[in-house]
Amino acid sequence: MKRLAAKVLGPGALAFPTWAYVVFFFVIPVSMVLFYSFGYKPDEYTTVATDRLSFDRYGEVFNGAVLSTLLASLRISIVGTLLCLAISVPFTYWLATKVRPERRGLLLALVMVPFWTNFLVRTLGWQIILSPDGFLSDWMQGLGMLGEPLDILYTRSAVQIGVVYNYLPLMILPLFVAMDTAGTRLREASYDLGAGRISTFFRVTMPLAMPGVISGCVLVFIPLTGDYITASVLGGASGTMIGQIIASQFNTAQNWALGAAMAVSLMLVTLLVAAVAGLLLWAGRALFHRLTRVQLEGVPS
Amino acid sequence: MPAQHRAQDTAHAGGALSLRGVRKQFGEHTAIRGVDLEVRAGEFLSLLGPSGCGKTTLLRMIAGFEQPTNGEIELDGEDLTELPPFRRPVNTVFQSYALFPHLTVAENVAYGLKRAKVSRKEIGPRVAETLEMVRMRDFAERKPAMLSGGQQQRVALARALVNRPRVLLLDEPMSALDRKLREETQLELIKLHTELGLTFVFVTHDQQEALAMSDRIVVMSEGEIQQVGGAEEIYQRPANSFVAGFIGKQNFVDATIGEARDGGTVTLPTAHTTLEATAEAVAGFSSGARVRAAIRPESIRLAPETAAASNSAGADGPATNSSTGVIVGESFLGDVVQYLVRLDHGPEVLARVPFAAATDVGEGERARLSWDPDAVQVFGDE
Repeated sequence: MKRLAAKVLGPGALAFPTWAYVVFFFVIPVSMVLFYSFGYKPDEYTTVATDRLSFDRYGEVFNGAVLSTLLASLRISIVGTLLCLAISVPFTYWLATKVRPERRGLLLALVMVPFWTNFLVRTLGWQIILSPDGFLSDWMQGLGMLGEPLDILYTRSAVQIGVVYNYLPLMILPLFVAMDTAGTRLREASYDLGAGRISTFFRVTMPLAMPGVISGCVLVFIPLTGDYITASVLGGASGTMIGQIIASQFNTAQNWALGAAMAVSLMLVTLLVAAVAGLLLWAGRALFHRLTRVQLEGVPS
Repeated sequence: MPAQHRAQDTAHAGGALSLRGVRKQFGEHTAIRGVDLEVRAGEFLSLLGPSGCGKTTLLRMIAGFEQPTNGEIELDGEDLTELPPFRRPVNTVFQSYALFPHLTVAENVAYGLKRAKVSRKEIGPRVAETLEMVRMRDFAERKPAMLSGGQQQRVALARALVNRPRVLLLDEPMSALDRKLREETQLELIKLHTELGLTFVFVTHDQQEALAMSDRIVVMSEGEIQQVGGAEEIYQRPANSFVAGFIGKQNFVDATIGEARDGGTVTLPTAHTTLEATAEAVAGFSSGARVRAAIRPESIRLAPETAAASNSAGADGPATNSSTGVIVGESFLGDVVQYLVRLDHGPEVLARVPFAAATDVGEGERARLSWDPDAVQVFGDE
């Protein structure tokens, strides 16, 4: 039966659900956004018109306020991704190497607990923690760490903290899997061959965990760049992110052409950052190989 | 050039290990119950025992992956007990090889040399020479995933040997290889051991492997050493019924020490028959003591019942060291034929007869079994 279907309709027919999904929910919507981004908003009551196509909306995106918000968002997402990585690496290393296997499930479940709570609700929780009259502020003043009430809510720093909190599990999970596959046996082999713990970490554990680092960074960086809930709850006026402005163009301002141009710009910039990161990674890997390289005479590579 | 290097290796010969009162406790469970063991410089020593006997734990303590709860481990008089694995002049060939998948074969082998800060100029030739030794030089640029199990095993061996350890630890390195490859590898390992003069400590649960390769064998059970000795000694003169049963096949029967007979033998009545053993074998047991007697299958002769009846049943009382029964199983093992015989009084006995000497009695037919008094070994009843 399968063979008949494949013969009549071609091998692609068997993958129909997958490509249909991609076409209807990705290719078509993205193409429409791309198309709208060349249009304009003709009057108060129409969201988009495409009878005249131009790059004018992109001109609006890349001047002044929108561009600076885009760059600020980018900074938050790059710093946020790096912070997630910086927290996850020691945590997952500890989890994979020092924690007894039967306890790991519980700890991973604890990491996942916030995920079972609504995104908005757990972000709102941070409003309470970070507010000037919240308990954190009281404690820090009580301990003499602060002279005046905590002034962090509704700033970019609050957004930065919020996104790290919200996206951390997405970094921890793939990284833990990668650290776990690197395995006790290989670390023992490394110790056995005279490498200390630090040397083993950088020469065995981390190189083998790289796929996890990459997928974790992609999983965190891309949704984080477009995030607008965290920023609207914790950022206030000074912590606006590009995702909020795009959403407001579609919802409030009803200017789909400009919103689409912003969305496309965001996608392009995200891809650019990913490409640069990929290039850096490739260069780092080439350097690592140069350092570990052992070439024997007369053995073809 | 290689010859020169090899001479250096030999000069760098193996170390002597000394384990004193080593005990290891994992929570409630005692894995090692006090082991004293001297491993001589340059010897091939096997730790042999069933799984869970503590042999791997002992090896891991020598390597430094586990800390003994009590006791000391010394190498050439230097106390290793507190040293982490990366400070010990000891290298391991792991059961699963544990090759680094992100490094090539050459890089895997060079790993230890780089950690030891050996100069780049020296690393190349030493890696090449060691890979040559295990016939893996042509694979130097491959990643471990592209190698077969046997090839990976040789790389793991090279990766350990290149560091010229004073003791090489091998943790069941051949358990994943098929039989033919395993036999080849055994011969290669023996050759390497002779050439390099290193001390080898080899963990295995395969008695054949231990018997074939070792200078001395340490038989372990339940965290204790049962016997230490050469292959022949352990096979011919097992210290207790555990060793007797673990090494080779054995027919066991409960017996009591009987009376001395003319010609230096002693009778051993069992529930249904009477055995006769040498006085030497029962030395240390008093008359009437309950013991376990053991007879190796290859010590048992098998003949058609009628032919044997005349020469064994003497006039002076019941026949000793002889029994009759029905052959219920016959298997051809190559150079020997193995018979499973159900005796008339119930128990089953294994007999192994050289193929050339095998009689034409077959399955379902009656046979008479007989053996010499010196084939009967006697152990305390545990």
